Amino acid sequence: MFEPKIMCFLCKWCTYAGADLAGTSRMKYDTSSINLRVMCSSRIDPQHILYAFKNGADGVFIGGCHPGDCHYVEGNYKTLRRVTLFKRMMEDFGIDSRRLRLEWISAAEGKKYVDTMNEFSEQIRALGPLHLEQVTLTKEEICHE
Amino acid sequence: MMGNGKKKKIGIFVCHCGVNIASVVDVERVAKELDGYTDVELSTDYVYMCSEPGQKMILEQIQERGLDGVIIAACSPTLHEKTFQNVAELAGLNPYMVEIANIREQNSWVHTDKEKATDKAVKIVKSMVEKLRGNEHLEPIKVGITRRAMVVGGGVAGLQAALDIADHGYEVVLVEKEPSIGGHMVQLSETFPTLDCSQCIMTPKMVEVSRHPNIKVLTYHEVESISGFVGNFKVRIKKKPKFVDEDLCKLCGDCADVCPQVVPDEFNMGLSFRKAIYLPFPQAIPGAYTLDIDSCLGLLPVRCGKCKDVCDARAIDYDMKEEIIEEEVGAVVLATGYDLYSMQALGEFGGERYEDVINGLEFERILSASGPTGGEVRRPSDGKIPKNIVFIQCCGSRDPELHNSYCSKICCMYTAKHAMLYKHRVHDGNATVFYIDVRAGGKAFDEFYQRTVDEDDVLYMRGKVSKVYKEGDILKVRGVDTLTGKLVEMEADMVVLAMSMVHADGSGELMKKLKVGTDKDGWLAEAHPKLRPVESLNAGFFLAGCAHGPKDIPDTVAQASAAAAKVGDLFARHELLHEPTIVPVIEELCSGCGICISMCPYGARSLDLTKHVVKVNEVLCEGCGACAAACPCGAAQQKNQTDEQIFSMVKAILKG
Amino acid sequence: MNIHYYPGCTLKEKTTNLDDSTREAMAVLGYELVEPANWTCCGAEYPLSEQKISGLTAPARILRQVHSEGGGQVVTTCAFCFNVLKRTNVDIKRNPLKNKQINAFLKDDIKIDPNTKTKTTGFPPYNGEVDVLHLLEFLRDEVGFHTIRAGLKRDLSGLKVAPYYGCRMLRPGGGIGIDSPDSPVIFEEFLESLGCRVVDFPFKQECCGSYLAVSRPAAATEASYQVLRSAIINGADAIALSCPLCYYNLDRRQDRIKDAHAGFSGFPVFFFTQLLAWALGVAEDVLGLDQHYYNPKSVLHNQPKTEVAQ
Repeated sequence: MFEPKIMCFLCKWCTYAGADLAGTSRMKYDTSSINLRVMCSSRIDPQHILYAFKNGADGVFIGGCHPGDCHYVEGNYKTLRRVTLFKRMMEDFGIDSRRLRLEWISAAEGKKYVDTMNEFSEQIRALGPLHLEQVTLTKEEICHE
Repeated sequence: MMGNGKKKKIGIFVCHCGVNIASVVDVERVAKELDGYTDVELSTDYVYMCSEPGQKMILEQIQERGLDGVIIAACSPTLHEKTFQNVAELAGLNPYMVEIANIREQNSWVHTDKEKATDKAVKIVKSMVEKLRGNEHLEPIKVGITRRAMVVGGGVAGLQAALDIADHGYEVVLVEKEPSIGGHMVQLSETFPTLDCSQCIMTPKMVEVSRHPNIKVLTYHEVESISGFVGNFKVRIKKKPKFVDEDLCKLCGDCADVCPQVVPDEFNMGLSFRKAIYLPFPQAIPGAYTLDIDSCLGLLPVRCGKCKDVCDARAIDYDMKEEIIEEEVGAVVLATGYDLYSMQALGEFGGERYEDVINGLEFERILSASGPTGGEVRRPSDGKIPKNIVFIQCCGSRDPELHNSYCSKICCMYTAKHAMLYKHRVHDGNATVFYIDVRAGGKAFDEFYQRTVDEDDVLYMRGKVSKVYKEGDILKVRGVDTLTGKLVEMEADMVVLAMSMVHADGSGELMKKLKVGTDKDGWLAEAHPKLRPVESLNAGFFLAGCAHGPKDIPDTVAQASAAAAKVGDLFARHELLHEPTIVPVIEELCSGCGICISMCPYGARSLDLTKHVVKVNEVLCEGCGACAAACPCGAAQQKNQTDEQIFSMVKAILKG
Repeated sequence: MNIHYYPGCTLKEKTTNLDDSTREAMAVLGYELVEPANWTCCGAEYPLSEQKISGLTAPARILRQVHSEGGGQVVTTCAFCFNVLKRTNVDIKRNPLKNKQINAFLKDDIKIDPNTKTKTTGFPPYNGEVDVLHLLEFLRDEVGFHTIRAGLKRDLSGLKVAPYYGCRMLRPGGGIGIDSPDSPVIFEEFLESLGCRVVDFPFKQECCGSYLAVSRPAAATEASYQVLRSAIINGADAIALSCPLCYYNLDRRQDRIKDAHAGFSGFPVFFFTQLLAWALGVAEDVLGLDQHYYNPKSVLHNQPKTEVAQ
């Protein structure tokens, strides 16, 4: 049975707190994802996403604050633009753009976080493994090329 | 390999949290699997890491083993990150070398499969080891404070803020663009819901401000520019010439008597006239005349000179020039207030066409005992007492298609007050109010509105007015009664429009200069709508009164006091500490392209024109990292969250 | 000079006087009006429902036809046609979704080759290239009111005219109406260029009753009466307007207004093009003044003496 690996980048102020709320509310969701906390979703460089895919991620999730709620004024808008553009490039790389998902989840939306995680895990399961790591470049190659 | 390449001694402490973690995650296995991982010196578990013995164990291990980094695998960092940082500090370890692996909220509490949850916990802890391996020792950035505040705007918000800050014992520079402090509140007749005389409560405050030893009042001054950052601002202020020496003027008024130039009086909303040399209103502070150069016959080349001739005090000086003065302050309170939306924008109501269609502030002046009619309700066109008066609410408010989408908040109450005061003065008159909804939320507000309807017999008509027009001498108000669905047309001797509040004229340009954020309607934006309602996102700027959005007087005063308290809070600190997890520039890598400059919402980044690289103002940087993601050269690297750290963490999570 | 001109159905049926006077007046000014081939009804009402795209296809087809004939602009006199064409055009230009939907409908139109009679589909998409102008705009911006003034052949200086905009020329604002919805001036300036004395009256932008003439005739009668009354008490000798429906309500239904209001004895109503044609010296019989319920001929011939301003 295929167990997907999902890399989650969560902004500290909203989605990470939303994920915490899911925990304090003892909601349950799929184990396939692991979180990495960043100060703002706009810290995520498309290189980070690509690096995750290259290292075996079958899906990448980015969680930020709702539009207008960004702790850093407008970081989430920057993220939205980057993700939108990057999704187009992904198709060129041969990666299904559904493997990357951006959602606005607030600190109060534990339920939304859980639903999104379950839904995304299901979707990645349906898409199957990516297997991009087999043709992966070394870290240095990605970093310095 | 990590940036500094040095081998670290990392200690890992896996918490059971009683059974909260241990019932799902095999904590012993987690500790065991991490033992021997790169740079890991020690890996152990304990039942409650946050307990006294738990903390003691961590402290002792740091000291005994000379650990230079610890990872606590426990609950969310929002709970105990600070606790464990304090432990590290006690043990002599830099608190930025403490990382929390969240294996409770984001693992044991949300999963049931023990095997998978334990695997996941191992990966989470490994990713934190990778992060910690790249961490460097950081110290909070320390900045000194100039304990002096500037308040912009001399209305009730500005005065209250200035008084409170001054009473805290700090100096205040109060800047007001008009010749007198007092703002709009001093123009009002009586205030809802208690019907206090506005001037009676406002003028003592004005006097108090002018006499306070800690407050420097700069009227007829405007803020020109600002530089620096929180705690250390340098402000350039433009002093507009009054052509009258404030200290010498004896307020005799001889100058105004002889002045030949007559212009509409702003204080009375143009309902009466003043001279080119004038005192805005009798209680004006500072008590000195001002020569309005735009209305004066002209100082040069042909000088009328009548006012100077009659001034016994020799207070008039035609040679005064515009000056720029500089002030150093540590905090700024913005209390720039509001203006009313232009009646011209609502052509269908005839505000600028018919003299007897007036706005709420004009009606305040008519009601005021010090106003142009001495408090008698008389209409502007012919001075007749209006027997039929119509009030129209929401003029330009709550109209997203054409005007402002927001509610101006105070109009329901002041219209009720206007109608009530009208009825108190014209007993046989008829007052009608057209409204969309009556919003009387506030202490004793609804009771006040009910009194207007029940005791003072004011007719409230739910509906919108489509047109006010004149037929002969009579104004006709055409609208719809939305409760019956019928068209209504009524005659009126006078119509009062509750014009929408808008941000003060010129505040847009000022805020651009100050780099203070505004919302879509031009009101000042607060740092957080719930939790930081009196601070600007731009550190060191505080908001008070209607500059921030429509407000009534009590709310304005409360916010002004809150802003003053925030200033006091800032000034009470010994020095300012700033998070050091900022994004500096590696100069060797920077190409000077400036992409990061456009990413920064705080203006923390700028181009060093001599070195052609980007420089960072550490105090302004909030550490969001948007610039780091945008930098094409990898020259912008966030402290303790560099790209290499993120890559290593990702790898640990996916491959670990 | 040839200009594209969309008359609309009403001008070919009930208000040929508007069509004729427009043609004749424009001919005097040196413009020949060319109608786009195969034009249809504009739809008469702009569909306000977001989903109702099919209602936008008729006007879009007309505009596409003008474009395919090489026209950069199309002029209308009917205020309803103007409103529908202009709003459709603005939708096509500003709203990518509607543009896509409309063009998806239009691309399946069948093209018949006039020679071979073969049928093909696949029209090129229309992207709002044509400017939709009301004739008043065209007169102001292309012809120039000064040109009209210079070419006046008949004197109208004794006539006090109230310009009646109605609703469709001005609303909605935001780049669709030809002037400010609340304080328009274009009609006034036009009448001044004819030498008329302009009477401002507060009902110049009020509704005439519109289609309520069908469903609630009494309400339409009352609305029309209020407009006429306002013009009368403000001292006008006549009303000038541009919309066939306003004309129908304000003039052709004056019999009902008389029935409802005893004091009302009729009032002259002109299309603005009739006044323009008259002032430019066009023969009286082509103006179609006889078609009016209240024949306004007399006010043109017996203009009140100019009063000395007090």
